[in-house]
Amino acid sequence: MSGLGAGLGYDATPPFSAPLRFFLSAPLFSAAAGGLLLADPGLLDSRWTPGALATIHLLALGFLLQVMLGALLQILPVVAGASFRAPLRVAGLTHGGLCAGSLALTLGFLTGAPALLQLGGGLLGLTLAGFLIAAADAIRHAPRAGAPGHTPRDLHLALGGLLIAGGLGLALTLTLARGWRLPIDFVLQVNLHAGWALLGWAGLLLAATSWVVVPMFHITPAYPQRLARWWAPLVLTVLTTWSVGAVSEASALVLVAGMLLLTLAAVFPLATLRQQARTRRSQPDAAFGAFRLAMIALLAGLTALIPATLTDQRHWPVLAGILLLHGGFGGATRAMLYKIVPFLAWLHLTQAGIKAPNVRKLMPEAQARAQLRLHALTLLSLIVAVFIPLAGHLAGALLFVESLWLWWNLASVARIWHKQQAARSAPAAV
Amino acid sequence: MSPHHIIDARGLEPPEPFEKAMEAVADLLPGESVTLVLDRMPHPLFRVLERDGYRYSPLIRDDGSVEILIECP
Repeated sequence: MSGLGAGLGYDATPPFSAPLRFFLSAPLFSAAAGGLLLADPGLLDSRWTPGALATIHLLALGFLLQVMLGALLQILPVVAGASFRAPLRVAGLTHGGLCAGSLALTLGFLTGAPALLQLGGGLLGLTLAGFLIAAADAIRHAPRAGAPGHTPRDLHLALGGLLIAGGLGLALTLTLARGWRLPIDFVLQVNLHAGWALLGWAGLLLAATSWVVVPMFHITPAYPQRLARWWAPLVLTVLTTWSVGAVSEASALVLVAGMLLLTLAAVFPLATLRQQARTRRSQPDAAFGAFRLAMIALLAGLTALIPATLTDQRHWPVLAGILLLHGGFGGATRAMLYKIVPFLAWLHLTQAGIKAPNVRKLMPEAQARAQLRLHALTLLSLIVAVFIPLAGHLAGALLFVESLWLWWNLASVARIWHKQQAARSAPAAV
Repeated sequence: MSPHHIIDARGLEPPEPFEKAMEAVADLLPGESVTLVLDRMPHPLFRVLERDGYRYSPLIRDDGSVEILIECP
C-alpha cells in the first residue's frame, strides 16, 4: 500500500454524526438570535446594548463557530489528511461545551449576571482549549506529502487566530464578571477581540476552506498561487501590526495598518468573485449564488467599517456587523453547508458500502434555492432595520423562520442518511 | 480494461470524480491498473481503496493536479 496510507496511524474519517451534530444545532442558535430581535428590535440601536451583544454571540458562537468547528472535524482529515485520534469524543465534548457555553454567555449578556458570564466564558475557554489541542495533535501527525496547496497551513494559522480571539474573549468575560482588567482600554480590547475573531479566525478559515471548496464545488479554476500563498500570512502580519499599534497607542501606525488590513481583507472576496465569474458551470446553482452574495456582503461590510472607525455614529458598526456576520460569514457558511452536508452523507454511505442516493436527491435544488432566497431577504430586512427600528420585528421574524428552514433542510439530509443506514443494518425480512 | 487506461476526472463537481474512480476500479482484473487524474488528493478514495485491498501510488503534478496509479493485486 502507498506511503500515504501508511502515514495514517489511526482510523481517518470521523463518523458523520461527529460533524452533523454541529450542523444541526447551529441553525437553532441563529433562530434564537431572530427570536431576540423579534422581541426587542431596539437592540440594533447600538453594538453595546445587552441584546446586541447576546445576538452577536448567538450568531458568532452558536451559529458560525459551531459550523466551523464541526466542519474542521471533517475538513482536516479529508483535505489535510489530519485525523483526530478520538473524533467522537472530541465532537461530543466540543459540541456540548460550545452549546452550553454559548447559551450561558448569551444569558449572561441579557441578564448581566456575573455568574453566567463567568460560566459561559469558562466553558467556552475550556472547550476551545480542548479542541485546539486535539486539532494540533491531528495536524502534527498528518502525512506531509498528502497535503498539496496552502489550505493545511492556513487552517493551522486560523486555529492560531482562534486561540488569540478566544483568549481575548475570555479576558473580556472576566472583566465584565469580576472587574479584572487587562492593562488596555476596554473598547480597544473589544475591538481586538472582534478583529481577531472575524479576520484572524473566521476570515482565515473561510479563505483556507475556499482555496479548496470554491474550485471543487463551483467548478472554477484554482485561485492564483500567489494569492493562496501570501494572503493569510500577510493578513496575520498586518493584523498583528494593527494590534500592536493599537495597544501602544501609535495612532499613525493604527491608521495605516487598519486601512491596509481592510484592503487586504477585501482582496479575498474580490478574488472569489473573479473566480466565480470564470466558472465552467453552464447554470450556477443556488449555493453558487449564495456564495456570491456573501462575498458582496463581505465587501459592503468592510466598506461600512471605514465610517464605523472614523465617526461616532452608532449605526455604522451595527451595519458592518450585520453585513459581515450574517451576510458575509453567515451566507458563505449556508452556501457551504448546502454543498458539504449532502456530499458527506453520500460519502459516508458509500464508504460504508451502502448504495447512496444522488446528492441532488439528498438535497433538492429547489429546496435549497427557496431557503437561500429567504436568507437574502432576511439580510435586506436587517439592513433596513438598522435605519428603521420598527422593521426589526420583521427582520427578527424572517431570521427566525429562515434559520428553522435551514435546520429543516439539513435535517432532511440527515434523515435520509439515517434511514439508508438503518435499512442496511436491519435484519432481512423473512 | 486496458492496463494503461487513463481517466481524467478534473473539472467535475464532487462526488462525480469519486464515482468515476469507483467505476474504473470495479472494472479492473487482477494485474491490471488504471491511472486517475484529479484536481486534488482524494483522501476518502484512498480509504475505500485500502479497505478493498487495491494498491495505489499518488503523484502531485507540477500544475497541482494529482495522478494516481491504482493496481488490482
